[in-house]
Amino acid sequence: MQKLWFFLIAAVLMTSAVAAQNAPKYLTRDGKLKFDATATSSPEKIEALSNSATCVLDAGTGEMAWQVLLKGFKFEKALMQEHFNENYVESDKFPKATFKGRITNLSEVNLSKDGTYNAVVTGKMSLHGVEKDITANGAVTVSGGKIRINAGFSLLLSDYNISIPSVVSQNIAKEAKILIDATLEPKQ
Amino acid sequence: MSGKRILMLVAGLALIGISIGIALWNKPHENMSEAKADVTLEAAALFKSYNTDEKAADAAYLGKTIAVSGIVKEVSKPEGAPAKVTLDTGDDFSVICELDGLSQHARTDFPVGEKVVFKGKCDGFNLDVQLSRCIEVK
Repeated sequence: MQKLWFFLIAAVLMTSAVAAQNAPKYLTRDGKLKFDATATSSPEKIEALSNSATCVLDAGTGEMAWQVLLKGFKFEKALMQEHFNENYVESDKFPKATFKGRITNLSEVNLSKDGTYNAVVTGKMSLHGVEKDITANGAVTVSGGKIRINAGFSLLLSDYNISIPSVVSQNIAKEAKILIDATLEPKQ
Repeated sequence: MSGKRILMLVAGLALIGISIGIALWNKPHENMSEAKADVTLEAAALFKSYNTDEKAADAAYLGKTIAVSGIVKEVSKPEGAPAKVTLDTGDDFSVICELDGLSQHARTDFPVGEKVVFKGKCDGFNLDVQLSRCIEVK
């Protein structure tokens, strides 16, 4: 999987080498990803946060690659965290979630000029051994040489072969919301 | 057995079941100060294991409590998140220890170049080896 990740990064960088040789690349290791599967009838919030998602963005092509370790998601309740890892995402077997895609409206997003832009990103999300196409809308804020990405999208858990036992199905949302907040800095 | 006794027995068993359920639901996260390390090793050795064979390294370390020693390369304090201490591995990539958000820490500043030991949970390999819920071991 690590080789795949290196491949994804290499693909981003190589593509950029052809398309935009001098465009800077941006990186973070501290991206925040929030997972929220709270159903309207949930007695408590079913949400978790990882502070350690990685993202590489090519400012020339708008291509980006994300990766997050599933064991890095922390829940308030220890039992929820155990169930998330052991019964739902099976993080021993599938330790990572990845996304590779691109900003599709790059002509409207000036990554070299300070400002906040609406961005649409499409690409392939891989989770629990299943790969699916997804589209997410978000805001990209360029300021002081850094790029901040705020985005949100939903994942239908059944699309990723994540099954919810019927006894708790009323308490867990069928669609999990994913919220992203990451500040990328120029790659050294 | 009279109907009243059976009713009391059922009520007693139900109460025990509910108590166990509530205790499980509210069970606390592992206390990292008291957690026993499953493995003790140097940051460079941990990184090398992952960089050589990630699958084998996951089998050995993923989800385990690891005591890792190394030289501080960098300390970062991301907004709204626990501090992270990056340990040098002799490679471009590192072992990153995210401090435990549930524990009190004697310090969160670590001078670059100091040799330290952290105990934390191994989350896997994401460019760097990532450990979370880390506490410093004196």
